Amino acid sequence: MEVVRWFTIAAAIYAVVGTLIGVWIAAELAWPFLNFDISELTFGRLRPLHTNAVIFAFGGCVLMGTGFYMVQRTGATRLWSNGLAWFTFWGWNLIIVLAVITLPLGMTQGKEYAELAWPIDILIAIVWLSFGLNHIMTVAIRKTSHIYVSNWFTMGMIVMITYLHVVNSLAIPVSLTTSYSIYAGVQDAMIQWWWGHNAVGFFLTGGFLGIMYYFVPKQANRPVFSYRLSVLHFWALTFGYVWLGAHHLQYTALPDWTGSLGAAVSLAMIIPSWGGAMNGMMTLSGAWDKLRTDYILRFLVVSLAFYAMSTFEGPVMSIKTVNALSHYTDWTIGHVHSGALGWVAMVSFGAMYHMIKKLYGVEKMYSEELVNVHFWLATIGTVVYIVAMWVSGIMQGLMWRDYDEYGTLSYTFVESVSAMHPYYAMRAIGGLIFNLGAWIALYNIIMTVRQASAVRNANAVPANA
Amino acid sequence: MDVAVMSANDWIGVCLSLVAFIGMVAVYVMVFRPSNKDMFESQRGMALDDEGHINMGEKR
Repeated sequence: MEVVRWFTIAAAIYAVVGTLIGVWIAAELAWPFLNFDISELTFGRLRPLHTNAVIFAFGGCVLMGTGFYMVQRTGATRLWSNGLAWFTFWGWNLIIVLAVITLPLGMTQGKEYAELAWPIDILIAIVWLSFGLNHIMTVAIRKTSHIYVSNWFTMGMIVMITYLHVVNSLAIPVSLTTSYSIYAGVQDAMIQWWWGHNAVGFFLTGGFLGIMYYFVPKQANRPVFSYRLSVLHFWALTFGYVWLGAHHLQYTALPDWTGSLGAAVSLAMIIPSWGGAMNGMMTLSGAWDKLRTDYILRFLVVSLAFYAMSTFEGPVMSIKTVNALSHYTDWTIGHVHSGALGWVAMVSFGAMYHMIKKLYGVEKMYSEELVNVHFWLATIGTVVYIVAMWVSGIMQGLMWRDYDEYGTLSYTFVESVSAMHPYYAMRAIGGLIFNLGAWIALYNIIMTVRQASAVRNANAVPANA
Repeated sequence: MDVAVMSANDWIGVCLSLVAFIGMVAVYVMVFRPSNKDMFESQRGMALDDEGHINMGEKR
């Protein structure tokens, strides 16, 4: 379990670093002089570093840490290989270090959410498979007859992300840092968004739903509301999500029917997504009063509210009529962050706080009040961020499409950029509020660990004497 | 729909669509079949029962 502790603490550090880079680049968009004319600090270089840091460094460490934690607890067994788990931990962190070096230097494949150069892609595949092998083998040696639904979600993620990462990353290398995708034109775009949306679907949704189905019942001390619904949720997500990617490419060279299919399946996915969100929330039936005093539970329940909201908003945005207004605007950025900050980060922090207490054998965090402060900073920061992007995005879309009685566009592009400034500043402030919460979480976690170590050492002294 | 001009890729897509559709129907039937209710719902509390399963400390 030592490796789970390391994954959890690493995740807390990456939450701070990843969101800090996000705040910086948000500030660059509002006040461009902040890149100081240094190439490595420009938005184009730092934006992929931000996305890689929050998705793969923070999110990856949370998923691997909780994955190893849940499979042992629900399988009544230890990890299949402790050594392999440490290989996964150090390998994943090596990948993050390589990302920190290469991305600011401009070494990129130019594929969104898959920017890293081809040798790092191979390393990702090896380390990811080490995680997958260890998890699946631990399931295989479990001492319980049933495989709990959380482990199904984790294994679904492992299988699909392996498949998606390998297919999307297929490329012909021409040097150590440069390669060309084996796909061309619209097929490259289709593969890119098949990966892009399924990274959201299986990494940022499926994996974190596994976390939700374990940690919400644990923290509420109530059985999951409906186990049948959780099984249906898993299979509907697995069958459905792989069809959605094309909705990112409406009004492009992609055949029209492909985008329509993507939008239709997106709308159908509201049913299992809301079923799952309701399942999580109804787990609190008869225990809603716990939200008054249990700040960790607040994180988990509010994350479900954001999950429900963003899984409704996404399908609506995929409809062609809405997409005509929303695409290429900041509305998309707002949608992504309602999912990333409100759902993924909130459920992660809830799980991390829960695990830290269990892993270090303490009844309470160093400061329960700071957990509450973090909760409100995270909630307010997320709301400020997404409201800014909604207003800015819809305004952008309306300005771009507006024309006068002669059919001439009413606004130049630069006028729309200028109009965005207050909202970009507001977005940076929202992100900063969220980032402050992450600092508080890191401080609280470190102090809890130190306190637990001090108690353990104090107890050990008489025993040794 | 002109079946005669469908490529191998089109047929693979059609077959996968049908498999996914039939699979999804099978899952719905399995999950909502009244006789399966107790089998599934008996696992509701599995996450709560794990406290006694494992010593979370290091291997001794």
